[in-house]
This record gives sequence, structure tokens and C-alpha cells, in this order.
Amino acid sequence: MYIIIAEDSAILRDGLAQLLGLRGHRVTTVGDAAALHAAVAEEPPDVAVIDIRMPPTHTDEGLRAAVELRRRLPAVGVLLFSQYVETRFVDTLLADGSAGVGYLLKERVVDIGDFNDALDRVAAGGTALDPEVVTQLFGRGRRSDSLAALTPREREVLSLMAEGRTNAAIARTFVVTERAVEKHIANIFTKLGLAASDTDHRRVLAVLRYLQSS
Amino acid sequence: MRAPIARGTWAELAYVILGAPLALLGVAYVLVCGLLGAGLAITALGIPILAMAIPAARWFGRIRRALVRTLLGESVPAPAAFHAGQGLFARTSAGLRDTTGWRAVAYLMAGLPVTLLGLSAVVVTWAWGLIALTYPLQHALGVNQLTARDADGVIRHGFLLGGLVLDTYPRLLLVSVGGVVLLLLAPWAVRAVVLLDRLLVRSLLGPDGAAQRIADLRRTRALAVDDAAATLRRIERDLHDGVQASLVALGMNLTMIAETLGGDASETTRSLLTTAQTTAKDAIRELRNVVRSIHPPALDDGLDTAIATLIARGPIPVSLHMDITQRPSPAIETIAYFCVAELFTNVIKHSGADHATVEISQRDGHLRVRVSDNGHGGAHLDGGTGLRGLLDRAATVDGTIDLVSPPAGPTVVTINLPAQP
Repeated sequence: MYIIIAEDSAILRDGLAQLLGLRGHRVTTVGDAAALHAAVAEEPPDVAVIDIRMPPTHTDEGLRAAVELRRRLPAVGVLLFSQYVETRFVDTLLADGSAGVGYLLKERVVDIGDFNDALDRVAAGGTALDPEVVTQLFGRGRRSDSLAALTPREREVLSLMAEGRTNAAIARTFVVTERAVEKHIANIFTKLGLAASDTDHRRVLAVLRYLQSS
Repeated sequence: MRAPIARGTWAELAYVILGAPLALLGVAYVLVCGLLGAGLAITALGIPILAMAIPAARWFGRIRRALVRTLLGESVPAPAAFHAGQGLFARTSAGLRDTTGWRAVAYLMAGLPVTLLGLSAVVVTWAWGLIALTYPLQHALGVNQLTARDADGVIRHGFLLGGLVLDTYPRLLLVSVGGVVLLLLAPWAVRAVVLLDRLLVRSLLGPDGAAQRIADLRRTRALAVDDAAATLRRIERDLHDGVQASLVALGMNLTMIAETLGGDASETTRSLLTTAQTTAKDAIRELRNVVRSIHPPALDDGLDTAIATLIARGPIPVSLHMDITQRPSPAIETIAYFCVAELFTNVIKHSGADHATVEISQRDGHLRVRVSDNGHGGAHLDGGTGLRGLLDRAATVDGTIDLVSPPAGPTVVTINLPAQP
């Protein structure tokens, strides 16, 4: 997989490039949004890993670059990489749907296996959201109180769905069969009044739309 | 002896003459406002009129100081600016208690006799001096003289001084000499009156010790509060961009070691590596919490974003109503944020509520933060729930806290903060 890393901290940029290189990926590193656009123009990557805070203002350059990248090249996966979770960032990033986007806290790279899975999902047009992001979305979703109808297990399943996990991955997490997970999901959709659909991607979209609209 | 032709002399003369209409206008202003205020005192208008008129008297002080500066070359420092506060009540109260305004009024009253004295000095010395100096000329032209019959019954024309008719040449010249003496005295007489006026200007229109001190303290406190907020923000940046980046890099290096070792590592090495990775992740998480308690990064995007992020993390549903048209200063935003954070923690820990409401609005340049819950109430400021700390925090910018928490609930805490520290 070809990955561009946009990150202004040299120590993180080089470390991540090395780590992903070990995993067999081809990596280009850049230090700011302008260089990112130049590198993408040269060769569009499978995934662009973008730090939210970059020079010159260190506020949300990365977020704006990510939004622009998604608008111009929807096929390129965008994985935002941040020190903290902020509701506004999530909203901005997911405003145009959740296909091929991710938002992970920087520390997730320590679990390189999970991070690699997230990259794969984003590259394949899926979604990868940090558990913290999902917690925040749930925090807002709770305002409508409709989530109260869910059982604790169903809430856990919904969280993992929102992170972008597949049924198989969820089944492994809870050490249950995939059929059991499917049953939970069917219940969730019924309780939330969402029509069940057959693809994971549409499923995530539905979950997010529910969480965001509430 | 050169005094009459020195530049300062003419400036002082001009000061007395130009100052006279200003002084009269000032007295008229005080009388009109005083009468209007007193006359309307039984209606709701009287007091506010007085409250507006007192600080407005500062304008006379400003013009007078400009006159002193331009003509006399003395720069009297301006007193501290009027701090009106927001709202009719605060404005009225501040206006009535405006010491600088009252001192300006005192100057306007004291200025009238001084001005009359000055005008008299000008008339007696300058005007009479000139008339006496040119008396021989006037005599020759037959103007400005009285007609009298002397002791011998002869009719004579001229000035009369104690029964003495001044009409012969030695006597005419004597009058001229008297004029010269008066003109030589004139600058000193005018200067004496101007000195008296300058004394009044300095003591009544200059800065007032206590008021100046308050203004200085207010200004330096605002600087200190802003500086503290900026410092915390810088520390947050340094922690995120420095320490946290290093910790993440450390975690990545540990991961790389694990990846490179692969199957070669012993069970012990593997478990040590896993522990080290976990420790690194814990450190990063703890650091994030520390940073959040220093300066939540979301605050850079505004109070609404920061509070939305805050309540989304909490365990109970919260309704958020924000009505902010103008962003308060960063220091005020920080104080408001931590007040909400503290109150929200209290709601979760102590109130037993399952729903809370956060309202933030702006009115009269004040930021009002209200946090209410549907819990069991009974909260008080000294309950060891951090409310006292909240009060201290708000007090650093003259903010106030109002707590209403009857035994059966609900609890409503309202915090009023100025828009600027």
C-alpha cells in the first residue's frame, strides 16, 4: 500500500514511516499541508495519514487539508491523526459521509496491528474511528434518549460498529459466534428504527447518521 | 524688567482671557445639571441625569488640561478613564461614585472666583496701566478727563486723584510713570493668579491617588490574568508537541523492537515489551488528561466547541444552549470553561441528577453561565465540592456566582463574568 504521512513532528513522522515500512508499505513523508497537496498531486496514495495540527497556525490545517483532499480525490483514503478528540473535527470530517475516512488518536500507532487494520479499512473505502471518537458521538447521541432502549451488550456492539469493525471482528472481541453478533445488530436496527442493509459500509453510514443527527 | 515682553507673559494673559468663558460655561453646566437633577430627583430621571452629568464634567477638565498644556507648557497627567460598567444600575452607581468627576465639578466651582480674580488682575494692571501710560496723549486729545473746579475756583480738565487735578505736564507725566509701574507689575499679578489656578488644576483635574491605584491594579490584574491564560496555553502546546510526541515515538520504537524480534524473543522479553508498551500508552492517556485540566485544546476553537466536547464525554445527557455573538477574551473563556467543567463534575458526583442543562449567554457585555440539574439539591458553597474554588476563580475577574439549591432540588448555579478581565 502507498501511504503519505503529513506530520510536522519529525520524531513521529520518521518513526511512523519506519514502522509502516517494516509492515511492507511504501511511505512518503511531508511536514505541512502544502507539501501534502504537492505529494498527492505527484502520486495519489491509497491512504493519507494527516496530523490535524500543522504549521503555520497549528490549529486545524490538517483537517482542512483532509476535507479538501476528500473533495478533490474521493478515492484517496484519509486518516486523521490527532493528539486529542474534538467533536467539531469529527463533524467536519464526516460531513461528506464516512467512506474512506478515519480519525485515530496518535497513541494508537503503538498497537501497530490495529493501526494497520485501520489503514486497510480506510484504503478499502471503509471507516476507522477511534473508540474515544465513538464515545463522544455516543455522548451526544444520548441526548435524544433513544439509545436507552439498547441493552449494554447491544451498545457495545453499536460502538464497535461505529468504529468500523466487521461482524467477524466483533464476534472475536466478545468471543461469540458471528450469528450472535448478527442477531444483536438486527435488534439494534429494529430498536433504532433503521432498516438493516447488507453491506458493512452502509451499516456504518447508518449508525453514524443516527449518532450525528441525534 | 523684561517680564512684560516675555513670551510666557502673553501666554498667561491669553490663558486668563481664554479660560474665562470656559470657566463661566463650566459653572453654568454645574448649575444647570444640579438644578435639573435636583428638580427631577422625585422622578426616576433625576438621579441618572446626575450620574451622567458627573462623569461628563471630566470633559471640562480635559479641555482645561489642554489649555494648560498648550499655553502654559505644563502637562498635567489625565486621571484614570471612567469605568462605567454595564447596565443602567451599574452605570448610575459608577457615575455617582466617580471621584474624578466630582473633583472636576469642584474645580468648576472653585474656578469661578479664581477666574474673576484673574480678570480683575488683568483689568487693574494691564488695562489701567495702558490707560495711565497713554494719559498725556489722551489729555492732548481731550478724551477721558473730568471737569472740576479747584480750590481757587478755576475750572480745570483732567484726572482727579484725591482732589488733585492732574492736568499740568509734570502731573501728566507722573500718571504715565504710574502706568509704567502698573504695566511692570501686570505680569506678576497675572502670574500669581495663574499659579493659583495651576495648583487647582493639578490637585483637582490630575490623577487622584486612590483612583489611579485602582485603575493601575485593574489594568495589571487583567494583564496577569491574560498572561496566565497564555502561559497555560503554551504549556499545553509544549506538552502535546514535545512530551506527547516523544511518548508516542517511544511506544512506536517498542513496537518496532517487538516486530523486529518476532519469534526470536523469549517469553520474558515479550512480556516485558508488552508491559513497556502498555506503560507508554497509559502515560500518553494520563498526559492527555493532565493537558485537558491545564488548557483543553478545544478551547482554541471557542467556548461552544470546548463545552460540547466536555459534555459529550460525560456520563449523563446534557442540553447545551449557547448564545454568544462576540467571543470573550481567552482568559474569560478559560475561566468559563473550567467553571462549567467543575459544576458538571459536581452534578455527576453529588447531585444524583440524570439530566443537566448548560446555558451560556451574553448580555450587556457580560458572559452568563448557568448550569442546572434535576438532582436532589442541597448544595452549598462550603460543602467541600469545589464551589468555593469556583468562587475564587471567578473573583479574579470580578465575576460573581449565584447558587440556588433548595433541599429537594433542583440546583441552579449562575456565574456572571465580564467579557474582558
